[in-house]
Amino acid sequence: MDRIYFLVIKRFVFFILLQGLVFNNFDLFGMYDPLIYLTFILTFPTKINKITFMSISFIFGLTLDLFSNSLGFNAAACLTIAFSRSYIMAFIFGSFFDPVGLKLIRNYISESSFSQKFLYMISMILIHHFFLFSIESLSFKYIFLVTQKTLMTSLLTIIFCYASILFMISNEK
Amino acid sequence: MQKVIDFLIRKKDFFVFFILLIISFLLIFNSSFFHKSKVIVFSNGIANMTKENIKNFNSYFELKKLNTKLVEENLSLRNMLENASDNYTLDSLTNATFQYKNARVISNNLSSLKNQLVLDIGTSNGIDKEMGVISQNGIVGIINNSSLNYSSVMSVLNLNTKINAKIKRSSHFGTLEWNGVSTRHLILNDIAETADIKVGDSIITGGMSLIFPEGIDVGVVSKIINQNKFRDTLHKLNIEKNRIKYSDFIGNYLNIEVRLHTDMSSINNVYVIKSLNREEFKTISK
Repeated sequence: MDRIYFLVIKRFVFFILLQGLVFNNFDLFGMYDPLIYLTFILTFPTKINKITFMSISFIFGLTLDLFSNSLGFNAAACLTIAFSRSYIMAFIFGSFFDPVGLKLIRNYISESSFSQKFLYMISMILIHHFFLFSIESLSFKYIFLVTQKTLMTSLLTIIFCYASILFMISNEK
Repeated sequence: MQKVIDFLIRKKDFFVFFILLIISFLLIFNSSFFHKSKVIVFSNGIANMTKENIKNFNSYFELKKLNTKLVEENLSLRNMLENASDNYTLDSLTNATFQYKNARVISNNLSSLKNQLVLDIGTSNGIDKEMGVISQNGIVGIINNSSLNYSSVMSVLNLNTKINAKIKRSSHFGTLEWNGVSTRHLILNDIAETADIKVGDSIITGGMSLIFPEGIDVGVVSKIINQNKFRDTLHKLNIEKNRIKYSDFIGNYLNIEVRLHTDMSSINNVYVIKSLNREEFKTISK
């Protein structure tokens, strides 16, 4: 159990620094950044119980907010996605989903079909981005802008998250 | 009672989620809470220090570009000095209303809908809320928060920013806003339809508030979008039912797309404008 928390802390620091110092300056077309830190939540060990998972995600989002000068936005979005992860997994993986948490993320990746993996990633990412940009704009006036931004950023995020998950997953215990 | 406790235990995930969500919304909406919470001020200081160190390291690679920029600015200032006639005394020397302070940008983001910059000077250097920030090319933003050593700037690329601006040639006033689509363009609203505006006209700050002095460059008109005020058109149609002209369908106000002089992605050194008459101005406008 200690080893798993050590792994979580290692990833925590790595993704904060990667997003805060490298990917926040990506600026494709001047304004689109991939939010690669979602890999942290997508591949969070299923062993750890939900309340700890939500608290860690909240602190993770808050730390990230300090790096991107926006207090509370990422915290709220990360918290929401952490809360809804078990529901999304139950919905997408169906009977394959294990609520107790004995299966590792590695099992989910190797034993599920490509469409399941893809649906899992895309639904998590779309919910997160849409929530993040809508609380950022806080108005129905910008609904078109929020949708456009969500789609563009999701596209970038999926590419980078998929690549990083392939790298990350090999060292899961 | 037992049932209530059972219910709370059964739904504990949801309650934890709800409480944390409320905390995050408090952080978003309540800026005084942000100032009060020492943990966040402290950790924000650490984050800013990290960013400052990285910026220090990175700035070595940008020295050549920076040098060119400074030489250009020097040149334009020298030209201005040369053009100023001998008997013309600068207003700022005799009766100063604005004071400039230089600052360095530590972090800058463009990807958010409410972009912010962080500068390396704070209240210890006399920086306060609602001071304008400009670069050598034009406006950058308005300071909205400052701690002891750092201050955050609401960039012009922020959906909340509203800046008073006017057209240099005809002095028509309007409000500058960002529509979130491009990082090089702003929208100038509320310009009367009768205004004679052409693509390529210069836009400067209006000087209606004490945030920016009058006449600081903003950009040039790149496109004129006519805003169709539907209600006004209907009103006109009711009055003259028989004579409907094409011009009736065009509203009373123009929306103008302005191309910024400042490239927001590459700003390093900025100037903060401090208005010396602000207290006096506040007491009058109360």
